[in-house]
Formats: sequence, structure tokens, C-alpha cells
Amino acid sequence: MKKTIQIPLGSQHISLLEPIRFKFECENETIIGVDADVGFVHRGVELACTRSFEFKQVGYVVARVCGLCAITHSLAYTLAAEKLLGYVANDRIKYLRMLMVELDRIHSHLLCLAHTAENAGFEALFMQIMGDRELVMEVQEAISGNRVQFDYICIGGVNRDLTSELCDLVRKNLMILSEKVEVLIGLFDNNWSLSLKYKGIGVLSLEDAYTYNALGPLARASGLATDVRAETSDFPYEALGYTMIVESTGDIHARNFVRLREIVNSIAMCRNIVDNLPMGEIQEKVKGKPKGEEIVRIEAPRGELFYLVRGNGANILERVRIKTPTFSGIPAMMEVFKGSQYADAPAILASFDPCMSCTAK
Amino acid sequence: MTKIETTLSTLLLDIGAFYKPKEWHFLTVNGIDLGEGKIELQWIFSKYGVKDEVVLYYALSDYETPVPSLVALIPSSTMGEREIVDMFGLTVEGAQKGLYLDKDSLPHPLRGDV
Repeated sequence: MKKTIQIPLGSQHISLLEPIRFKFECENETIIGVDADVGFVHRGVELACTRSFEFKQVGYVVARVCGLCAITHSLAYTLAAEKLLGYVANDRIKYLRMLMVELDRIHSHLLCLAHTAENAGFEALFMQIMGDRELVMEVQEAISGNRVQFDYICIGGVNRDLTSELCDLVRKNLMILSEKVEVLIGLFDNNWSLSLKYKGIGVLSLEDAYTYNALGPLARASGLATDVRAETSDFPYEALGYTMIVESTGDIHARNFVRLREIVNSIAMCRNIVDNLPMGEIQEKVKGKPKGEEIVRIEAPRGELFYLVRGNGANILERVRIKTPTFSGIPAMMEVFKGSQYADAPAILASFDPCMSCTAK
Repeated sequence: MTKIETTLSTLLLDIGAFYKPKEWHFLTVNGIDLGEGKIELQWIFSKYGVKDEVVLYYALSDYETPVPSLVALIPSSTMGEREIVDMFGLTVEGAQKGLYLDKDSLPHPLRGDV
């Protein structure tokens, strides 16, 4: 029997943005087994939603699950609550919500790409991408009032309108960003150090993507064509130019490329939204109290975000179930580590774009 | 959403006959405390490439009855199963405690009797 050693990674590690601990079983430099501890930042959000807050406040509570994708959390909950109340938002509200979700996707993907570049030792590229990301952060702040953790969506609408000046800002910043993303695509595809570190590394096969129920960019990079935007009818994505981005090699390079191409697609959709913004109220009065059970799925930057909300006609809900993309993706991630080199583990981990704040909730 | 009732004793047979990995995406396991020691357990699936098609299997149980594990059929169900062990104090075959909670945490916080 060959001798194996256990090497931990985390919970605090230079390559991690949030606390997660992996325990790798290694044979020389090769990982042959892995165990993960993901619960370091558990805050009891589901409990708080059904004990401490009324249903009208829960949208603001769930926005605190995650700083990066706060908008998708509040949107998923709000949609579920609105369905229970029998309310359907007008087109202007739908477009404004979609705009914020797509802007959120752009900045989240850019953060992930910056982090993967940093893990390849490419500090200059990390700084460049973080600088480019400011273009989106500026737009988000101008529209919602906050750079992250925005309380933009509420039951019955959104809290701020999009003025013509803001539309101009969106157009201007996204035009600059699209040129910068073209440069990034060239770099990620052709740069020798990035290719060495990413191509053929951390492969999730299509078969394993199905077996382990991979989702989001992780699944699409392996050729599994699944995206909640194409599998739900809550928002008119197809009418705004949505295209599903699928790669086939399943390695870090493919995951980066899915994100880069999704940024390009999201920029196009955001431009279409501001150019074709329907007229209408941004907030409508919604009466009643939620009764029944609803499921809502939203494509967050990391994949499918799932909410199940059950109410009994009272102000306090019976159940708010939150299932986040990273939580579902962990079995697939652990499978990818097996057979990889320990030295590649930080880069592989960064390519999953894990969000522990979401996972532990 | 289609809701299908099952029981814990027939769960593996029912899900085994239904679930095809290339057709259905397993979403999660969920628990809802119904009060008076009763709990509703849910296993939720969505169909790849089809709009708004969600199937939810549910079974009524109590806190003491062991819940069968789906890991042999659906390896990724391990996360959801560990979660209901922590949050509702249930017993699921092969699922360890401690996904979220520490030893000194409030036990099974999502139970109605806490």
C-alpha cells in the first residue's frame, strides 16, 4: 500500500476569498481523496426568515445572505412572495430587475476571473480586471445607491427608477467595458502562462457533470446545456438577446471562457434593456398575505438559486428554503479535485467561484 | 410544479423509477416542520431544457423515523441530507452531523419545538 499524507487547505488560506476547509488525501503530489467543511459562516438566515421577520421584510433579510449576489436572493424571494400574493409585475419592473441581475452577473464573473488570474500568479491581470470591474460597480451604485448588498427589489416593484441620465451612464460604461472584455478574451485564450495553468487542468467531464448535478458555469463549461434563464418563463430573456454559452472541455480554461462569453452576452442584454425600456410604474401596491407554496429558480452568477416559500396567510412565513449554487456544486467540485495535483488546487478552487457566504447562509 | 406523494418506505423505489440523470436535475432535499412532531420531507427535481417543469416528491414523517439516503442514486443529494440532519435533527443513513452546526450550537434549529 502506498503511503498517503493529509494536507489541509483553509479555512484561512491566501487563495481563499471566504472560509472553507478542504482536507486532501494525497499520494505524493496527487490528490486521491477530499473532504470539505463548508459551515464556517452559518448565520441562521432561514430560521430568522420564519421567526423574526414579517414576509414584507424577508426580501431585505435574504439580500444579506450574500454580498455579491444579493440582488438574485432578493429577486428570488420577492418573486415567490408575489406569486403567493397573486401579483404579476409589469414589463418595466421586469426589465429593471433583469438589468440589475445581469449587471450583477458581469461584476461577479469579473471578480472570479480576477481571482483565477491571481491564482495563476498573474497579479497585473488581477489588478487590471478589478479596475475594469469598477465600470459595472459604478453603474450599480448609480442605479441602486449601493455598490453591493443593494436593497433594490421590493414586493410590488423596485425602489428606484432608471432615468435617461442613468441609461446614458449604462450605455457609456458598458461600451467601454465591452472593449476591455475583448482584450481579456484574447489574454485568457492566448497568454502562455494562463494556458499552462488552465488548459487541461481541473477537468469535470460531461458524464460527471450529469452524475453530480453540476450547475451554472461549471456545468456549461463541461458541455451540459442548462441555464435557469432558458428553463423558466418568469422573465423575457430570449426577447432581449439571451444566448446560452456552452463549452466542452470542462477545464479551468473552459470555465473562464464561459464566464467571459457570458459577460459579452449580459452586456448586450443590458444595452437592449435600456434601449427598449417599457413605460410604466416602478412600484405597485400588493395586498394580502402569502398563502400556499411556491418555488422560484433564478440563474445567479454561479448557477441556479432556488427558493421555496410557504405561507399560511399570516405575516410570518412557515418556511423559506434557500438552496444556493455553490451548495449544490460542492459534490462536483470534490470530484474534480480527485486526480489533480495539489499545486493546482487553489486555481481549481478559484475557477469554481465558490461563495461560502451563500453556502452556509 | 407537480407534487407527488410518497412514503419513506417506498422512497428509493419511487425515486429510482423516476430519476434519470440526463433528463432530470436534482435540486435539493427540503424539510418543513408541520408542528406536533410531524415533518414534511421533499425531494425536488427540474427537467433539463424544459421550461418550468419541476417535480416535487414529498413524504410525511416524524422526528424519530430514519430517512433513507438517496446518495446511491443521486450522489449530490449528500449535501441536502446532511443539512436536514443538522437543521431538523433527523437520522439519514450515512449523513453526518456538523455541516453547519458546532457541538455547542442550538440543536435542530428549524424544528417547531425549538
